[in-house]
Amino acid sequence: MSSSSAPAADYAGVPLPEVQIITNRLLSAETTEVVLNALDKIQNVRQINMTGESLPKTINSGPGKGLPNNHSERRVINVGGHEVELRYLVGGFYIELDVEDEETLDKRVEEIKEACNATIEHGYTLTVGRFSKYKPTLHDYRSE
Amino acid sequence: MATTYKRQFYPGTSVPAKNRRRYMDPKVKLKKLRDVSMDDVVRIMGHRNPGEDYKSIHPPIEEGKEPDCPIRKLVEPIEGAKHGDRVRYIQFTDSVYFAPISPYQRAWMYLSRYRGVDTGTLSGRQIIEVRERDLEVMAKEMIDNETFDPALTGIRGATVHGHACRLDEHGLMFDGWQRYVWDDQKKEVVYVKDQVAIPLDRRISVGKPAAMSDLKKRTTIFRADGVDMRDDKEVTMYGLRIHKLRTLGGYQPWTVKGE
Repeated sequence: MSSSSAPAADYAGVPLPEVQIITNRLLSAETTEVVLNALDKIQNVRQINMTGESLPKTINSGPGKGLPNNHSERRVINVGGHEVELRYLVGGFYIELDVEDEETLDKRVEEIKEACNATIEHGYTLTVGRFSKYKPTLHDYRSE
Repeated sequence: MATTYKRQFYPGTSVPAKNRRRYMDPKVKLKKLRDVSMDDVVRIMGHRNPGEDYKSIHPPIEEGKEPDCPIRKLVEPIEGAKHGDRVRYIQFTDSVYFAPISPYQRAWMYLSRYRGVDTGTLSGRQIIEVRERDLEVMAKEMIDNETFDPALTGIRGATVHGHACRLDEHGLMFDGWQRYVWDDQKKEVVYVKDQVAIPLDRRISVGKPAAMSDLKKRTTIFRADGVDMRDDKEVTMYGLRIHKLRTLGGYQPWTVKGE
């Protein structure tokens, strides 16, 4: 969700596994909050990044340019006691897991599946791998 | 013996092919599924306020100030042209998730059914430009008839992004400007902004979305998870023939024989 190409969190020293969840439907802010709070309880989660369709704050073109957009799903949600400002209609989660062995990874993936099954009504696709950048590259040094 | 030509529209025997033919054929009267009032259609388009006079860009043709021209004598002007109305537009976005019609077939349908229109096709949207009073009649027809679905067809003048996005939890096509919302009590789609996202002073209901099973019978869209275009042999051969002729016509026109 960051405009910079640099990774959202500091390099862990090793490329950690990620769980990619792509939902079949775009989730409302309310559902996103429920999903994130369910994922928040799982251990070994190092960071969660989200993707989706952008919801502009103001009307960005046409005769109404500059008017407030007032999209009902562009709002602040509460995740584990922290306020998170949603700027997207969320359709994907990237959960980085700080695990050292396959056994723990499998266990955590099962927990994530359970959390998603209980909260994502219209289904999702779950894949384990590494999908995003985990340490800064030459480009990020150049951009600074 | 003179042979009479019978107009043909689209090949194929599959459901989307039949629907394409139906929508294009001006002799087929399309089913009316809802009744959005004319004033509400005018509000959603946002070109003028309901009840306001039409602005004109030239004097009425009846005043006789037109130059002497054989073509002008030949062509009967549409109502808006007679009165000198402005040219205004309506633009529809059609979701890839089995919307009743898609932009390219809209172009075919518009050109086949209406006079005096200018239409433009883009990947997910279709604009139609007509003289204002004729546009309003056409827009009402197109919102009321079976080519429109409240959830999968959007009336969007600008920023149309969403036709290829996943649907939201209520099954509505994504709209970053949220021109329409889901009314959970009535189970209907309600417009709260006009086509360029300027807030409306009243909520305009466009009715209940159709069930997916119904949409699959109404759609013109071939999809791998619906009717695959390759399963309709005639449609496939028609596409291949056009492709072959266009390609050969482009670089080896002398090899095109007997066509």
